[in-house]
Amino acid sequence: MSEVVQVQNITKTYGKKGEKQYQALKGVSFDVERGEFVGIMGASGSGKTTLLNILSTLDQPTTGNVYINGRDITGLNKNQMADFRGQEIGFIFQDFNLLENLTNRENIALPLSLQNVKSSQINPKVDKIVKRLGIDHILNKYPAEISGGQKQRVAAARALVHEPAILYGDEPTGALDSKSATELLETMKGLNENDRVSILMVTHDPYSASYASRILFIKDGKIGKEIKKDGKSREEFYQEIIAELGRR
Amino acid sequence: MLWKLSLTGIKSRFKDYLVLFSGLTFASAIFYMFMTLATNPAFLKGSLSIAFKITQIVFGFGIALLSIITFVYIVYANSFLLSMRQKDYGMYMMLGARTSKIGRLIFTETLVVGLLATLLGTVLGVGLTQGVSSVLISQLGLQIHKFVGFYLPALLWTIAFFAILFFLVAFWNRHKLVKSNVINLLHEDQKPVKLHRNKLWKFIEAILGIALLAVGYWAMMHAAKLGKKTIPIAFFTIVFGSYFTFDSFFTAIIDLLRKNLAYKYKKLHSFTLGQLKFRLSDYTRILSTVSLLFALALGAITVGLNFNNMTEQAMQSTYYDVVLYGHNKKVDNQLKKVSVKSTTTFDYKMVVEGKGKEKSRVLYIPENQIKNNQIMYQHYSRKNDMNHYDTRCIKVSDFKNKTDFNEAQYQLVSLTPYIDAQAKVVPETQYNQVKAKVNKIELLRVNDFRSNFNNIEKLQNLSATQMMSSPEVDKDAVNVNLSNSKSAQYRLVSSMTSGFEFMGFFLGLAFLAMLASTLMFKVLSGANSDKPRYQMLWKVGTRKSLLKASIAKEIGILFALPAALGVVDVLFGLQLFKSILGMNTYDKLWIPFTIFGVLYVLYYLLTVVLYQHIVLQKED
Repeated sequence: MSEVVQVQNITKTYGKKGEKQYQALKGVSFDVERGEFVGIMGASGSGKTTLLNILSTLDQPTTGNVYINGRDITGLNKNQMADFRGQEIGFIFQDFNLLENLTNRENIALPLSLQNVKSSQINPKVDKIVKRLGIDHILNKYPAEISGGQKQRVAAARALVHEPAILYGDEPTGALDSKSATELLETMKGLNENDRVSILMVTHDPYSASYASRILFIKDGKIGKEIKKDGKSREEFYQEIIAELGRR
Repeated sequence: MLWKLSLTGIKSRFKDYLVLFSGLTFASAIFYMFMTLATNPAFLKGSLSIAFKITQIVFGFGIALLSIITFVYIVYANSFLLSMRQKDYGMYMMLGARTSKIGRLIFTETLVVGLLATLLGTVLGVGLTQGVSSVLISQLGLQIHKFVGFYLPALLWTIAFFAILFFLVAFWNRHKLVKSNVINLLHEDQKPVKLHRNKLWKFIEAILGIALLAVGYWAMMHAAKLGKKTIPIAFFTIVFGSYFTFDSFFTAIIDLLRKNLAYKYKKLHSFTLGQLKFRLSDYTRILSTVSLLFALALGAITVGLNFNNMTEQAMQSTYYDVVLYGHNKKVDNQLKKVSVKSTTTFDYKMVVEGKGKEKSRVLYIPENQIKNNQIMYQHYSRKNDMNHYDTRCIKVSDFKNKTDFNEAQYQLVSLTPYIDAQAKVVPETQYNQVKAKVNKIELLRVNDFRSNFNNIEKLQNLSATQMMSSPEVDKDAVNVNLSNSKSAQYRLVSSMTSGFEFMGFFLGLAFLAMLASTLMFKVLSGANSDKPRYQMLWKVGTRKSLLKASIAKEIGILFALPAALGVVDVLFGLQLFKSILGMNTYDKLWIPFTIFGVLYVLYYLLTVVLYQHIVLQKED
């Protein structure tokens, strides 16, 4: 198996030299294998948002390297970073981040038009992913006209329509009720297991985390512990996560 | 404590406040200048010229229009202020600040910003008035001394007007803030927007909008036939036509574009179209207002500049530049200062014939001089609804029919000092038998009338004075009709037209500045709520250059649509003026259009830069 994400000893320091500095990441290293579903857990202020920002080229590490799909993303310029995000990364945010002045279909098609995909190829691609996510009946509606769970599915479709190397989830179930959350997690699990989509999900919710196959715990800017599902049932894994969280 | 917070809030938004503040300052400066020019008695006493009275009426009218646009402008500038601050206020309230206290805070803040801007504006206005009035005085040829830009009543009026306006606005702000709840203040940008409308009604509205505009334009094209009905018809149809067009027609075009997948699925097109669709329905009122004001302002400048043509016409109406009735030392000295192109002369003898009530003056003029000297005059007519002059020569045959007083006879007599005399063109022998003094009239054509105007006018006046003071002249009979002379006509018309020209120009520019910044503030008010959208687009991998281009395009269309409609309004509206003034108002159209275009584009660019500054995050 090859790695889709390689993180090598990254640090992130805020504040200029000579002034009061704050180190958010203190040497983080880990890999994500292709087709893996990795969860990152940590309390507020642990550095998990900083880590996700760096992994998604929204921010640059102070030292260290990040390889995504074999490419070092720490040496890219601004335009290359934007293009890289557009091609290799899919995002699902907590608050959906859909454009409410576009229809759901237009929202999903956006990453493809940004990549200059031929207009005749766009609708077939959109149709394929929405069928997979079961939202083909709401395509001509606007985001304001659908439920939260549906919005997050539209967001997932937008994140996956251009077949990125990895899907990032930033608290994707944070704004959903428990039923919609479960549905979304089941969908993500299905995408991971059946479609070999690599997923990296940041969350502080143990229930969401239990859908991952491996969990990294981040604390005070460092990876503290790593636990693996390894054939356990989801419930067993959930208990293990709770126990791990209780230990800290 | 809250006051301190409020100040830091303003400080952190300093650039935005600077734009708002300078806009308000400019508005009050212009307002003060108009007030001073229109009401200052130094102007009234200084001149009895009718031209100036007309100018003052026009200025008064200008003030009325200016008040309206200032009001609209301040309402939009205020909504921008509120959009900048409401999240802060919401935060204070969430932290437990009392509503009444926040109300006082926003009330004071609005009032203070407004009044400071007004005070600064009036100071600026005094300087502006000083400069502008000196230009105006010299252009109108007024003899006013000691005119200063400072005029207390105008100052008080300006301050009162703006104070009342800001007081109302501050009251409104307070009301709006106190009534709305904290959640709405914090999350104003996440409010859902109305999405669907009745398609049939929209279709009817789009057709109706275009049809109404067409009727309005048709009315202006046929102003001559419709007469007094033209203006109400055009006003009604164009106002509603513009509104409907913005409300439906343009969004219909956007919907059509959205159906074209090849266009929509390219770069950020779908996003730009989506933004525009929502914007247009939100902006209908302001866009139609802007297009109408744009037309008014551009029309004012165009027509104002066209008054220059009127001076040109006044000069065409008379063939000879100077008429000399005789000579003395002063006249001869002045004559040296004028560059004469050609001189035409004729002699006449004045005789009083008849007695009592039958008494009349007859001018005897030798036939061979009329035949040989080629005395010209300008014949007036109206061609295709336009004033028209062609040059004709006075012929001996014009005087054969004695009963008919024709144009040539009138033109010849008006060249002499005896405007009410009868002219008799007689053969040489008969002329010699008339026992009276021989007088000589010299008709001059000069080089460069306009640039040498002062010397020419002086020569004409000296010649008239010489005529009046000569001892042999029958003073009762002499009617040196100076107002008929070319220099007198030029003086009258140019003083009037330069007033109009100036007025149109300045009012036009003031309007443009206000309407463009009104639009600017409206666009910028929405910037804060657009911020998350651009953030999100950036996160999913849109290049910053593409985001900038999309912003420039979106705002560009919002600026271009009302301008385009406004230009069309003006092009048709000029038809109206063409028939009223009998001039070709389409002449030199590029001058006002260019001035307007440049200023408007500058406002557009400023808006784009400010908007990008608010919306896009700094990347480091």
